[in-house]
Amino acid sequence: MKDSPLHPLTWWIWSLVIAISVVRVNNTYFALGAITLVAFIVLQLRDDAPWGKSFNWTLKVALWILSIRTFIGISIGVPIPGNVIFTLPRIPVPTWMPGIRIGGEVTAERLSSALSEGVIICAIIVIFGAASSLTSPHRLLRVLPVYIYEFATAVVIATSVLPQLVSSVARIRQAQRLRGQKTKGFTSYRRLAIPLLEESLARSLDLASAMDARGYGTSRIRSRYRPINWRLRDSAIVASAIFVLVLS
Amino acid sequence: MIRFSNVSLVYPNSTTTVLEDLNIEIAEGELVLVIGPTGSGKSSLLRLINGLVPHHTGGILAGQITVDGISTREVKPGGLAHLIGIVGQNPLNGFVADRVEEELAFAMEAMNLPHDVMRKRMEEVLDLLSLTPLRSRLIATLSGGEQQRVAIASALVMHPKVLVLDEPTSALDPIAAEEVLSILHRLVHDLSLTIVIAEHKLERVIGFADRIVHINGAGETIIGSPEEVMKVSSISPPIVELARVLGLDNLPLTVRGMRRVVQGIRDSLPLSQIPKSIKKVNPVITVENLTVAYSDRSVLNSLNTTIHGGEIVALMGRNGAGKSTLLRSMAGISTISKGSVSVYSNNPATLEGKARREIIGFIPQEPSDLLYGQSVVQECDLADRDNQIPPGTTFAVLNQLVPGINLHAHPRDLSEGQRLGLALSIVFSANPKVLILDEPTRGLDYDAKKSLTKILIEFAAIFDRAVILATHDVELVAELSTRVIFLADGDIVADGPTLEVLLSSPAFAPQVSKVMSPQPWLTVGDVVSALEAGKI
Repeated sequence: MKDSPLHPLTWWIWSLVIAISVVRVNNTYFALGAITLVAFIVLQLRDDAPWGKSFNWTLKVALWILSIRTFIGISIGVPIPGNVIFTLPRIPVPTWMPGIRIGGEVTAERLSSALSEGVIICAIIVIFGAASSLTSPHRLLRVLPVYIYEFATAVVIATSVLPQLVSSVARIRQAQRLRGQKTKGFTSYRRLAIPLLEESLARSLDLASAMDARGYGTSRIRSRYRPINWRLRDSAIVASAIFVLVLS
Repeated sequence: MIRFSNVSLVYPNSTTTVLEDLNIEIAEGELVLVIGPTGSGKSSLLRLINGLVPHHTGGILAGQITVDGISTREVKPGGLAHLIGIVGQNPLNGFVADRVEEELAFAMEAMNLPHDVMRKRMEEVLDLLSLTPLRSRLIATLSGGEQQRVAIASALVMHPKVLVLDEPTSALDPIAAEEVLSILHRLVHDLSLTIVIAEHKLERVIGFADRIVHINGAGETIIGSPEEVMKVSSISPPIVELARVLGLDNLPLTVRGMRRVVQGIRDSLPLSQIPKSIKKVNPVITVENLTVAYSDRSVLNSLNTTIHGGEIVALMGRNGAGKSTLLRSMAGISTISKGSVSVYSNNPATLEGKARREIIGFIPQEPSDLLYGQSVVQECDLADRDNQIPPGTTFAVLNQLVPGINLHAHPRDLSEGQRLGLALSIVFSANPKVLILDEPTRGLDYDAKKSLTKILIEFAAIFDRAVILATHDVELVAELSTRVIFLADGDIVADGPTLEVLLSSPAFAPQVSKVMSPQPWLTVGDVVSALEAGKI
């Protein structure tokens, strides 16, 4: 891997195709399978770079989204009849909102449909998280066409923000531990969020101005010092994803 | 080459003008030094040259700035990329590639240079900045000095006519700094490159400068030759202070010139005795066989040392010698492979909450990591509440450190010196028994350094507390510390009283001692007291 890295777009295309098939199949087990596969690939292939470490966070975020999505799914919405598992206290809604209820009986069917929708959303997040942790954002920048350079700048900054966030989180937490603050619990997140947001904004601006100062986007055509080639390996990886898509 | 005509700059939502009616013409092949207190707008001035201000930052700009005949009004910063190379304060934030070669190629690729030109320029610039051994390394794994060299190289690879550098040596050790500056000197003389540079550590750069622009922060500027500006400047390197104290009329700015002038003074006194250092008795931090290794690389190799109360210990050494790691081990936030550290017989890694605050105060390299409040006053209140001290105490300390700070300013909007001051006063509010600082003087001007020195000395003396700091700033070490530990490749290579350690290494000797050797004087204060003692 280290001597000749894959084309920076390979994993992004692969992820896109896999994500499409997950949506197309719309099956919980298929989505779970995709998550497992992706996680396995990332654990095998990621290197020590900062973006490599961001995958664990992607998983955490996905889990959060799943739990919030499921909670909202079972507590708000149109009731589905079936086996009642437990009952939530019901909050009355005005009469002009017929058919919608908040709280009330939670049936097994309701739970399973909320869960399976959540899992599919999570699968898509995890799949793209994997692509971002397998690809260096800097290399991605070099292959994106220049004529969309404003967009490309935004994409690169966005994709490099997540990995930077992860390394900043560790550093800021450490510093705050040194200030004798708790680093667990909800309030610690609030304390973390402010320096973190500011830092990632500042960094993004720095990066954008550095790119601008160095003439990025001034020429519509870009030359390549070391060409980034699309090789057989890249085709094989993309083909594997298309194969999954066709099967699905 | 660069012309500022009637330039004034005001940032949005700000009441002070950064620059007012600035007129300067910088000729080709000139090295211009921009000086001023922290937060006075040095960076803004530099970024005006290629239009990053106001194109990227907003603000109202009056007047005209032209570079090689092109007005920054008409082109975006990218359009000047072939003309101006800019190296920011924090090069790591501006890197757009992972590897050295890719980074250097970035701007050339963006300008669509043909492949053979790129190859040639790449080799040239790699040689020019001695980066050849590093060409395929990951930038993230390079030391600070190496990163700075990569940043300069990636600007030079475009063959610009103007090079703009914002504090290029502030994060570097004296030797790496000298290396970078001598490269700049060579570029000016061999290629007639125009260089504009902002720097706080005047002692490092003043000898190279052709002209100085002094900004005071309220829009006023003084422009002139180094000698002229130094006569009136509030900011001056030790060598100038020495000349002022000795009442010299003309100010020599180099060690060589100064040595000639003060020869009489040097020889008029018998060689001073090196004062015997007093043995400290109460150990505070004990480090035994400390070994730290990251994955495959060993950073510290079984270090042994004891730090006593009342000592101010300066950790010095090259970038990447293990200074930060040693500090972090003392603070208990670095994974120790072997050996032990104890602070007041506690294992620092297990300290939490209030106990931690009261034993160890730590200022990280990025002081803003400690801050999360929305305003200065909020931060101070939080610190007061955390440590159960009367409201206002932290703010009083802050006012002493950095007077005139805006109460309602957001910590992010403070200058680097003010931010350090804020972090420091927060840490002080818990009255820690040990104070650890990781490169506290990056981006600090002389005034801020002076007040930092005063406060740290008082802190150590009054409460008999230990202060440990990692720094590259020899002048600070000379003024402040009582003991120097010199690290190289994870080993302690020198450990002793400041005087002995600094005098034994010419590269790490402060300016005054270079001027006054063989007399064992490190600071202007030493010279003054020695002369007074000699008169009696």
